[in-house]
Order: sequence, then C-alpha cells, then structure tokens
Amino acid sequence: MRKFESIKGYLLLLPSLLAFCVFLFYPMLETIYLSFFDWNLIKPTKKFVGFSNYMELFTDATSLVILKNTLLYIAILLIFNLVMPYLLALFLEFIVKKGKSFYKAVFFLPSVISLVVGSILYTWIMNPVSGPLSFVLKKVGLTMPIWSTTQGWVIAVLCIITSWKCFGYNFIVILAGISGVPKEVVESAKVDDVSMHKIFLDLVIPMSAATGIYVLIYCIVQGLQFVYTPIKVITQGGPNYASSNLIYNSYHEAFTLFRTGTSSACSVITVIIFMILLILEFRFVERGIYYEN
Amino acid sequence: MRKLIATCLSASLIASTLITGCGSTSSAGSASTASAAEATTKTQTQDTTDTPAAESTASTDTTNTEKTVIEYWHCNADTQGGTTVEELVSKFNAENDHIEVVAKYNPDMYKGLMQNLQAEATTGNTPAVVQIGWAFLEYFSNNFTYTTPQEAIDLYDPESATFLTDNFLPNVLDLAVNNNGEQVGIPYSVSNPVLYINEDLLTEAGVTDLDIDTWEEVKAASELVRDNTGKYGLYIQEPSDFWAQQAYMESNGAQLLTANGDGTFSATFASEEGIEALQTYADMVADGSALHITWEEGCQAFVDGNCAMLYTTIARRAYVQENCQFNVSTVKSPTWGDKERKIAAGGCFLAITAQEPEQIAAAWEFEKYLYSVESMAAWTIGTGYVPPRKDVADAENGLKSFLAENALMTPAIEQMDSVTKWTSFPGDAGLIAEQTLLDARDQILGGQSSAKDALESAQEQINALLSP
Repeated sequence: MRKFESIKGYLLLLPSLLAFCVFLFYPMLETIYLSFFDWNLIKPTKKFVGFSNYMELFTDATSLVILKNTLLYIAILLIFNLVMPYLLALFLEFIVKKGKSFYKAVFFLPSVISLVVGSILYTWIMNPVSGPLSFVLKKVGLTMPIWSTTQGWVIAVLCIITSWKCFGYNFIVILAGISGVPKEVVESAKVDDVSMHKIFLDLVIPMSAATGIYVLIYCIVQGLQFVYTPIKVITQGGPNYASSNLIYNSYHEAFTLFRTGTSSACSVITVIIFMILLILEFRFVERGIYYEN
Repeated sequence: MRKLIATCLSASLIASTLITGCGSTSSAGSASTASAAEATTKTQTQDTTDTPAAESTASTDTTNTEKTVIEYWHCNADTQGGTTVEELVSKFNAENDHIEVVAKYNPDMYKGLMQNLQAEATTGNTPAVVQIGWAFLEYFSNNFTYTTPQEAIDLYDPESATFLTDNFLPNVLDLAVNNNGEQVGIPYSVSNPVLYINEDLLTEAGVTDLDIDTWEEVKAASELVRDNTGKYGLYIQEPSDFWAQQAYMESNGAQLLTANGDGTFSATFASEEGIEALQTYADMVADGSALHITWEEGCQAFVDGNCAMLYTTIARRAYVQENCQFNVSTVKSPTWGDKERKIAAGGCFLAITAQEPEQIAAAWEFEKYLYSVESMAAWTIGTGYVPPRKDVADAENGLKSFLAENALMTPAIEQMDSVTKWTSFPGDAGLIAEQTLLDARDQILGGQSSAKDALESAQEQINALLSP
C-alpha cells in the first residue's frame, strides 16, 4: 500500500517533469550542444569549433563590460525592487492607518501594464531634451543628463522603467509576508518601549524573511529578464554596450548577428554565473531564515 | 552531501529558467512561424483539391479552394503603411480569381522579418514574397534560396521581358544587385534622407537664408541656434544602422566599402574624408550645437521645437507633418561644399522566396501588381516612401495631385538620381562588420574616442573579417 502511494506520487509528478524536460532541460542541453558550433540557423551544416566560442567570450573586452553591467543591474534592481518595496510595505503595515487598500491598488496597478507600453511611455516622459520631466527640472534650474547615451545613467534609468513594472508585485508579496507577522509580538515590543527601528530590524524583517528571500531570488532572476524589454525597445544595448547585459547579449548574438554558437556560450556562462550566485545565496542567506511551518 | 546536491539542483533549475525565459521573449517570432507553417500546410491541402470534380462545380467556395495561396511577408505596422498593405492585398485578392495572397506582418522591421525568415527556413518552409531591407542584401543572397525577378519573368511572363529596364532607373534597379552582380529582387520601398527644418526656430536664431545646401551651412546655423536660443541645432538619426551616417560621410567623398577588383572587398571608411565628417559631428555634439540621443528622442526633440534641424528619412514625413506646431520644410540632403551628393537608399526590395513553380508564378503576378502605377502611388501615400518606378510622380493616376499638396516630399523625389546602395558588407561576417561600425559611432559621438582612432580601429577589425 505504501509502495503504491509512492508510485502514485511519482506518477503525479510525471506531467510536470515531462513539461520541464521539453521546455527546460531539452533546450538547455541543446544550448550547451550549440555552444560548441559555428552556425547561423540556416546553414545546412554546423561547423564544430570546440571551445573557441567560449574563448572568444573570455578574451573579448566587451564581455567584461557586459558582465559588469549585469552586476550593476542586479545591484540597482535589488535596491528598487527589494529594499524599497520592503520599506514601503513596513510603512504601510505599521505606520499608515487609513487608505491602505487605495495605496495597495495604486502601487500594484503598473505591474499589470505591458512593459513595452511602459518603455514607450517612459521614452517620452524622460526624453532628456523635450520630455515633461526635463521641462520640470529646467524650471527648478536643473539639467537632465542625456541618459540614453551616457554610461551609468542609462542603466539607472532602464532599471527605473523595469521597477515601474516589478515594484507593485514585489510590494504586494512582501506586504502579505509582513502581514503574517503576529501583531501581538509587535504590540508587546511596543509595550516594552522598543523603538520602531529595532522592531523592524530585529522582529519584522527576520519573521518575514521567508517571503523576502523569495522576492530576492525573483528580483535577480526575473529582474534581468524584465529589463530586457526596455533595453530592446529603447537602447538596443547601446551606447557601445553600456546598457547591455548577459541576457540581452545572448539575444543580440543569436538574433541580430545570427551567431548561435556565441549566443549559446554566453547563455551557458550566464547559467553558470547564476548557479554560483544562487548556491551562495542558499548556503549563506537561506540558512538563517525563519519558516513558520 | 545530499543537501548540497539538492541545493545545486535547485540552483541549476532556477538559473536555467534564464535561458528558457530568454526564449520566451521571441515568442512573437515563434508565433508568426507557427501560423506561417499552418498556412503553408493549408496551401498544400488546397493544391490537392485541384481535381476535375472540384473544377466542375461553380460555387464561390469551390473557386476559392482552387486558388494558389501565397504568403507575403512585410514589416509594416498599421502606423507604417500596414493598412495600405491590407488594402493592396484585399484589392488583389478581390480582382484575382486564381491567387490568394495572405499578408503576414513581422514586428521589429527588416531585422525582425529576417529573424522570422531564418527560423522559417530551418523548418523547410518559406513565404512566396518577402520584403528584404537593403542592409540584408548580401546576407540574404548568400544564405537563402530565391528566384531573381528576371528569371520569374522569363519563365512565367515572357511578354514582359523588358519590364525592369522599362520601368526603373538604372541606379535604382542597381540597389538590389548584390556583390556578385545578380539582381536579387526589385526595389520596392525606397526612402532617402532629407533635412527637415524648423523655419521658425532658425529665423529666431538669426539664420536668414533657410535654403540650406551644405553641411558647412548646417554647422553655422546650428551654432547660431545654440548661441541665440539655447536650443540644439541638429540631430542626425541614430538607430541600429549606419544609413544616415553613410550618406553624411560618402557625400564628403568617403567610401564605406571598396571592391578590390579580384572579387574581394575592403572597408575604406577611415579615409581622411570619412574621419573629417564624423569628427565634425562629434565636435558639434561636444559643443552643444548637435544632439547625440536615440532616434525616437531626436525626432521628438525636433517636433517639440527643441532642435532646429532633423536629418532623417523621408519616411518620417507624415509623423513630422502631423506633430509639428511650427513652419516646417525639407531640403535635399546637404552636400559638403560643391562635392557630389551621395545618399544611400533606405527601405527594402521584394524578393521571391517561393520554391514551387506554381508559387513562383503567383508570386511574380502579385509583384507585378504591386509595381503598377496605381499600387505604387497608394504605397507612397500610405507610407511616405519614394516611388522606385520612373513614371509614378507625374502620372495623373499616380502622385501628381498628392505631390502638389505635400511639398515636403518633393526634395526626396528630386534627389533620386543621387541614390546609391546602402552598404551591405559581404559574406557571413557582414552583420558583425555593421555592428563594429555602430560601436565606433557610439564611441565617437559619446566622446570616448576620436573619429580617427575609432574608425581606423573599426576598419582594421572589419578588414580582418573580410579577408579570405
């Protein structure tokens, strides 16, 4: 009977395993396979080139720029999409007394709008020469930098556009996590005259860390995919790769330059880098997480 | 240990979603591929219904099943002539009793279409007629199977043997000839760059002669705009291609690509003239009289009155005309002093990628319809492109009345004799060569490198790619 239950369990897992095999593992293996070839998608024969696609990536100065950009994207996205929603959720849960539902709806709304629409909208709003934001800044005596062609600024603005989309979802998820923190614990701390600052840092954040860790992973993995859209719509990775990241570069190599080998090698390296990041995260961050159940 | 393995597995699973997630971004292309494949199956099914029994029935439905169904791939969104494509195709389908054309829109312009065509070719299917951007001329002809227009004419329409030479200027027809001397297709959407002028802003800045002819005059006017109004003088379009910069540099006597006479080619853009042209623009960006921003932002800055001159394609005429709140005019692409004007043609040509004889014949019949005076006129009105045919501008059933009302178009038509080929770097490395050039442009205009250093370095890299 117990054996049957166990088999039943595996059988129930089978459909999702099948879906994973078709849409995840097979493409991944195919990507690894393609990374050893020179092929442009249409030539009848693929030319085996060994590790030269990888060597090219490791020796190309552009790769280093793209890797640095990727890390910068991660850092900024974590601030905009993890730290800020956390602060806002804490504020809304413990400080704001009225109109909570209104604020929830307002912050969540952009996340249901297409990022392509958002990118086009922001191209207009943040036009450094004639956009409304530039106009307002001029009125207060400031000049808006020409961000779309300036190194550093371009990444910051693309992150803001991406955050416009991601912020609401992350905020709602974190708020749900924080709402799960027992009120009596917080109230007792208040009775004991513990400062709000300490309540947040030592009580609320550790007790909602399970949600926080989910949002952290989501930010890193999904954030870089989301940022692909404004890159594609607004800068196409430019100027001179200043806004490109590993994900966009994989696309650019495969579907602009039709170098599937280099693109696949870039994808494989991306996966390895993210595996390392996630292993580090699992080992050093998740260890201290409080799971209620 | 087991925990470590489980951790590694979980990490790999999450990380690998990066790859598949990346794949999902090209879903539009995949969807288009799927539907195209569906339509091809439909063609085959319908072909098999060509039986005497089917022919004997006279109902409309049966007539439809006898039609040869062909696909026409274009990249015209509704705001860029897509509605005209639909109108032309509907009219053809209504008037034709043996061919049914299915128009398929491909997002992301010619590059997007090329990506989808590439994906489609891997499945063994291809559409019948496709729009190919000029920059992809060499790449397309080196990698895809196609039928040249003259071959199609000779095989299926011998009475029109001189159709091409009768109706097109030699320099226009030459746009679709590849480096091997083969006429790959027929020019269809032809655009060229013009200088749009904000007359009010230039007058306010103190520019007295608005009939600007040379880049030297453009520079002087830009400086006046900067000094007297605090606004920008000039923006030269900067999308992911080198089209406008090619016209700008080649009009100064530079040449992007030179044939060596032995069948090989060399990049030669880092000449004195090429360097001088780009350095002049970089200096203007640095001193605040010109702009270095994205294409959308630049066009927006012009129509909002923050930039006095816009050097971009005539295909943007409708956008400029509809959005400007000031007096706007166009002049021909400026020259450098009294040097010859050389402007690269933008847009696309039509190529026949059908593989079966019946499909090729149908593709040619449809193409011939698209190149009729009436269809060409409708295409020009709907898109803003310049007609590639000789007699459309003056014909009563062509553009005569349209041009009388749309004076912005006139300089673009008048400079058609200066149109040259959009440089398409040969061989498999052509796209990488183009990218190298774009990187150099960013370095120069971003002030990270001088025109001399960046162009010489890019030229060296491209020549290494082109060397056999």
